[in-house]
Amino acid sequence: MIKAPFEMEKISDEEYVLNMGPQHPSTHGVLRIVLKLDGEVVSGLYPDVGYIHSSVEKMCENKKFEMITPYTDRLDYLSAVNYNWAYVAAVEKLMAIQVPERAEYMRVMLAELNRIMSHLLWYSAFGMDVGALTPIFYAFREREEVIDMVEGMTGGRLTHHAFRIGGFKNDLQKDFLPRLKKFLLKFEDRISEYEALLINNVILTARTKGVGILDKAKAINYGVTGPTLRGSNCAIDLRKNAPYSVYPKFDFKVCTGKNGDTWDRLKVRMDEMRESAKILKQAMEMIPAGEFCAKVPRIIKPAPGEVYTMVESARGEFGVYMVSDGTEKPYRIKFRSPSFSNLSVLKEITIGAKIADVIAIMGSLDLVIPEIDR
Amino acid sequence: MNFQEILEKIKSKHEVLESKEDMGVLNAYIAPANIAKVAAFLKDEMQFDQLNFITAVDLPANNVLEVVYRFFSYATADTVVLRVKLDRAKASVGTISGVFRTADWHERETSEMFGVTFLNHPDPNRLILPDGIVAPLLKDYKNQDMTPLPKA
Repeated sequence: MIKAPFEMEKISDEEYVLNMGPQHPSTHGVLRIVLKLDGEVVSGLYPDVGYIHSSVEKMCENKKFEMITPYTDRLDYLSAVNYNWAYVAAVEKLMAIQVPERAEYMRVMLAELNRIMSHLLWYSAFGMDVGALTPIFYAFREREEVIDMVEGMTGGRLTHHAFRIGGFKNDLQKDFLPRLKKFLLKFEDRISEYEALLINNVILTARTKGVGILDKAKAINYGVTGPTLRGSNCAIDLRKNAPYSVYPKFDFKVCTGKNGDTWDRLKVRMDEMRESAKILKQAMEMIPAGEFCAKVPRIIKPAPGEVYTMVESARGEFGVYMVSDGTEKPYRIKFRSPSFSNLSVLKEITIGAKIADVIAIMGSLDLVIPEIDR
Repeated sequence: MNFQEILEKIKSKHEVLESKEDMGVLNAYIAPANIAKVAAFLKDEMQFDQLNFITAVDLPANNVLEVVYRFFSYATADTVVLRVKLDRAKASVGTISGVFRTADWHERETSEMFGVTFLNHPDPNRLILPDGIVAPLLKDYKNQDMTPLPKA
């Protein structure tokens, strides 16, 4: 537990210090925010992280390459597929393994379903944070269908683990594509329903427009990525800016907001789900037949060297930096997680806001704590 | 820009101690005193606007602790890695949080995980670890409370 710098100084009679967390429901995990308040207005803020640090990076140094993949999907349990992807892509790059085209399409499909799943959970949780209890029942209706599809493919409902070094363990389930087709038929209408329910609601609009404004230059300087950055009118998406896998073959646009306020960050996520559905529709048509896994040696022993691979996860840039010394275990692994940098900007956009706005602003950043603490 | 062009451009303004190519990416070794100047040069004149991460790699065989800075340019999709070699016993390097604000937290994490001191850091408090755990990611770290199970 770290003392905030302003806890140690003398605070004026008008001000007081309030702890939000570590067990506050709106922090969605174990995160403590120390607030200095002047009446209802926030005049100081200090995030205290590390409550669930588990030293994943040190553990990975003592595991063989193929044993590390399940650790990555536990970092961000909501966007597990993307995290697996960054890791296996790093090993594949070091070993120069060519992943079969069918596997690449399967990866894109799972990653986009995962993005939809993550955004739907964020939508439900955000609604509850700001006091709207109805949206969760609508969003979980579709989320359940997505989870069922991914569960059939990966065997897990939360920490999906299907990616292997070189491709997949098994091919797509027989009923996966028909189910996906059926799901996509109605999904875009459902997104409009969500928007009517929560995002365009008059009360929510009043609470979020003009609140927590993050400008473009500041966002980039703080290393903010993902929908949070795109809300600040910044068309940066690693699927376009540093294309990986078969993403260049798809037609989709990068969704951006205008003013960089809380409402724009909400809207960007809703638009992104539409784009994900668009990618899924194209992938369904384009997926070729063939192998689903490359020929991978039984013992994974990459050549010495180092590599950094990054993917656009539901929260932003997730990267794996890996140093190999030519043995069966990595010499050093570093996980660059998006929420880590996204949280660091919270202080900049919250000071001067009301205490009730802190919850709306923090919800709009879509934080997942295990990936911050690692 | 390719590896050679980036190297030439940095060399024209700043000293590069040594350099290597790894997976097509330039790794440039910089003197610890120059790191903030080179980072500012990369940001202002070469469009490297994103600092991906800062971390360290421990190399006890050479008694070296390397601090690694990775930069990415959204405009040109180029990557460059700066590295600083430090003495393991008294590792210290200047902060670049004045150039990239995101370096603030990354440096605090590197500092507690590897025992590197970042000079003139605006907030040198611990970030993730509690007090009492010193530099756990060093290769020779031993914890008194944890002993490995005997091998059968």
